[in-house]
Amino acid sequence: MEPIETTNYMFAGYAVIFGVMLVYLVSLFVRWRKLKQDVQILQELEEKEP
Amino acid sequence: MTRATVRRNQAATRTTGTFLRALRAIVWKDLAAELRSRELLSAMLVFALLVILIFNFALELDASARATVTAGVLWVTFAFAGTLGLNRSMATEKDRGCLDGLLLAPVDRSAIYFGKAIGNLVFMFIVEAIVLPVYSVLYNINLFQPGLLLVILLGSIGYVAVGTLLSAMAVQTRTRDVLLPILLFPLVVPVLIAAVKASTGFLEGLELVDIRPWLNLLLVYDIIFTAVAFMVFDTVVEE
Amino acid sequence: MNPKPRLLQVLDVVTAVLFVVAVGMVFFYAPMERTMGQVQRVFYFHVATAWVGMLGFLVAAITGILYLVRKERRWDTAGLAAIEISLVFFFIAIVSGSIWARPTWGTWWTWDPRLTTATIVELVYAAYMLLRAGIEDPDRRARFGAVYAILGFLSVPLTFISIRLLRTIHPVVIGGGSSAAEGDFSMTPKMLQTFMFSLLVFSFIFADLLWHRLRLGQLADKVEQLRLKTIH
Repeated sequence: MEPIETTNYMFAGYAVIFGVMLVYLVSLFVRWRKLKQDVQILQELEEKEP
Repeated sequence: MTRATVRRNQAATRTTGTFLRALRAIVWKDLAAELRSRELLSAMLVFALLVILIFNFALELDASARATVTAGVLWVTFAFAGTLGLNRSMATEKDRGCLDGLLLAPVDRSAIYFGKAIGNLVFMFIVEAIVLPVYSVLYNINLFQPGLLLVILLGSIGYVAVGTLLSAMAVQTRTRDVLLPILLFPLVVPVLIAAVKASTGFLEGLELVDIRPWLNLLLVYDIIFTAVAFMVFDTVVEE
Repeated sequence: MNPKPRLLQVLDVVTAVLFVVAVGMVFFYAPMERTMGQVQRVFYFHVATAWVGMLGFLVAAITGILYLVRKERRWDTAGLAAIEISLVFFFIAIVSGSIWARPTWGTWWTWDPRLTTATIVELVYAAYMLLRAGIEDPDRRARFGAVYAILGFLSVPLTFISIRLLRTIHPVVIGGGSSAAEGDFSMTPKMLQTFMFSLLVFSFIFADLLWHRLRLGQLADKVEQLRLKTIH
């Protein structure tokens, strides 16, 4: 019995798996950078305060 | 009164007698308030009847379909009306500052939980007690079977056990009323499924042995979640 | 706290390598399935991501209990990290499962126990996030989050059992159950190896991500503290 041709679905499935994982990793990275900047700014503000 | 003093008083008065007295007081407070104003009950009731009405149009129930769908319609109605009751019950508590007052009293926190839960349960029973005959009359089904009533008892207990705890949380958030169904419904799925299947079982006259698993599930759920909710209620209402 | 700990650097590399190996196994080592064709390969990571989701939930429930008992900030940070990761990975599991289901069973969605339970669990995660979003006070947010994570975790087995007692067409690949259900397949040794390895790799991925997300959470807490200080 010939298996059905489902390669496209396989690609779609893995596109989702890799895609969403990648998006999440990127979001972690972006959030990290933003927080680092915030720490920078806040520490500068703190130093300015008497 | 400092926190320490309150706690010492709590320890000193922690006898069963005081617990039951506090419990009765809290339950009676809610019931008496409701008896006077009847706001909550009328709202829940009208809402429940409206839901049944909407189902009537939405589902185009003919006689045969009705038999399979009755349990579902009933439980959806109870779930939605129940949410209303849970929300309002906690909201009035918080808004009138009663919650803070209760917390300052030398009363075991679990008495507050059980008190509110029993109050909520009573309200649900009252609504159910009216919805059942109405539905029976509208659709010509006898809903007053002991099996069905047992399911309604067990199901309502599970629903209210979790609902009371979650409403205590929801009422302290910004989003309040909107949040309760979102928190409650995913957790209460086992109750709804088991209740609907067991109800359908009794209505269709199935053998008890077939219905038993659903009843067991309800029982297990009720026990586990009442226990956990009561253990954890303290941390949810502390200041 | 700021520089990345040595162990985490090592973990990053190890996880990345394992991941590449796993991908290689899925596409080149594992044989093609007899009836379903290539789409069956989705199965390996579909189950692995679902596994991560459940792992995260367990971690969140445990850290929830720990927070309620010990009241230490880090348990809350860990709980939030775990739930967030679970939210993402369970989403992947559900969607990839749907894509696998379409050619296999002819439908994008089935109301079978595992898929339905997965959706409900995903909704519990979402509810957890919404709950936290509605609370200003960090301590209350932590407490409520912990309580909800515990309740949610306890409800999952009961939810699954209740839905399981209804019909199912989800393949029972591991353990008993009727294989008369369509779309069922039995695993050859190579498939089994790929499957187990995928589970292992994704456990590493979970640990790695959890650590990173934890550090992110700690940084966020620090920002919050600094913000409060500069306001006063």
